[in-house]
Amino acid sequence: MPNFKTVNDNTNTKDSSLLDNTSNLIAIISHEFKTPLTAISSAADLIAAKLHIDNYMDPFYKKNISKITTEIFKLNSILDEILTMSNIISNSIEIKKELTDVHEILQELKTQYFTDRKDARTFKIKVSGIHVKIHADKKQLSTIFSNLLNNALKFSSKKMPVVELKYEEHAVIITVEDDGIGIPAADIPYLFQPFYRGSNVDSIEGTGLGLHIVRNFVSANNGKIFVTSEQDQGTVFTLEFPYP
Amino acid sequence: MSNIILLIEDKPGLLDTVQSLLELHHYTVITATNGQEGITLARTHLPDLVISDIYMPILNGYQLLEQFQRDEQLHKIPVIILSAKTADEEMNLAYQKGAAGYVTKPFLFTSLHENIKKLLT
Repeated sequence: MPNFKTVNDNTNTKDSSLLDNTSNLIAIISHEFKTPLTAISSAADLIAAKLHIDNYMDPFYKKNISKITTEIFKLNSILDEILTMSNIISNSIEIKKELTDVHEILQELKTQYFTDRKDARTFKIKVSGIHVKIHADKKQLSTIFSNLLNNALKFSSKKMPVVELKYEEHAVIITVEDDGIGIPAADIPYLFQPFYRGSNVDSIEGTGLGLHIVRNFVSANNGKIFVTSEQDQGTVFTLEFPYP
Repeated sequence: MSNIILLIEDKPGLLDTVQSLLELHHYTVITATNGQEGITLARTHLPDLVISDIYMPILNGYQLLEQFQRDEQLHKIPVIILSAKTADEEMNLAYQKGAAGYVTKPFLFTSLHENIKKLLT
């Protein structure tokens, strides 16, 4: 007769196999969705190119073709977020830590296409202290900043978000600050939970997955994350990564 | 004379659209729907550049890159890989096998075109 431990072990094996299968299924779905998305975005590109060549392009066509492209890239980001989430849940994210220059990653992000950006703003970088590299996964660090900056641009509309890098004695402190709509105090404890969205975001689109991914990646890279916010004044995310 | 591009993609909808985009930008395009057909056409036409998907029947993009590297005539032709896979491992593998560029799907044609122009100059 199986003892309690054996039953538990079987359940765990079943759970982990279910998780693996679900994770594989999500990976396949995400990959399969990208081909039709590429065909749609290329068709939008083709229509735009033909309208230009035939001198038929006008502001109406331009605005609506650009809307198709933007929405395709949004859908693509959602697929990537779901895939990342599924990898986090099934514990199948590989982490490759190496000596990483945080400033360099932020500068590379300046040229990135932020899908939720509603205007031409980018962000400012301020640096203080003596530059030290940290031991972290470059790609995960880039995802962390990309998510925080995307949010900063999405939830603000006046000033450029500011990223401040302070090289202190034992760690680098990074703040990402915006002057946007802020986060209601009651939402802050739940902010990093998957699919949780602030009560004041109304019609501003999002999956509620970004900050969950951010917190996971920050922890995986031995970092800490804090948030302070005031409604209608703005939000500051503070990250701390120790030196190797 | 316009540059000849060999486009290899197994999804007909995408193949047709990217071919039209390239032709609108004054490239001569020949197409194949798998790596094997691509290699046969490359040997006959010796294109200036190849754009290839990875996951295709008969012969995939990685195998195509390997065969290009081994072929005296083909190894000089730059190959841009178009793939929905965004993991570093996939990109590094493509570059290790001799890819000259890697564009992730979905893409804006301008970004693919930038890669093409860079490799054709």
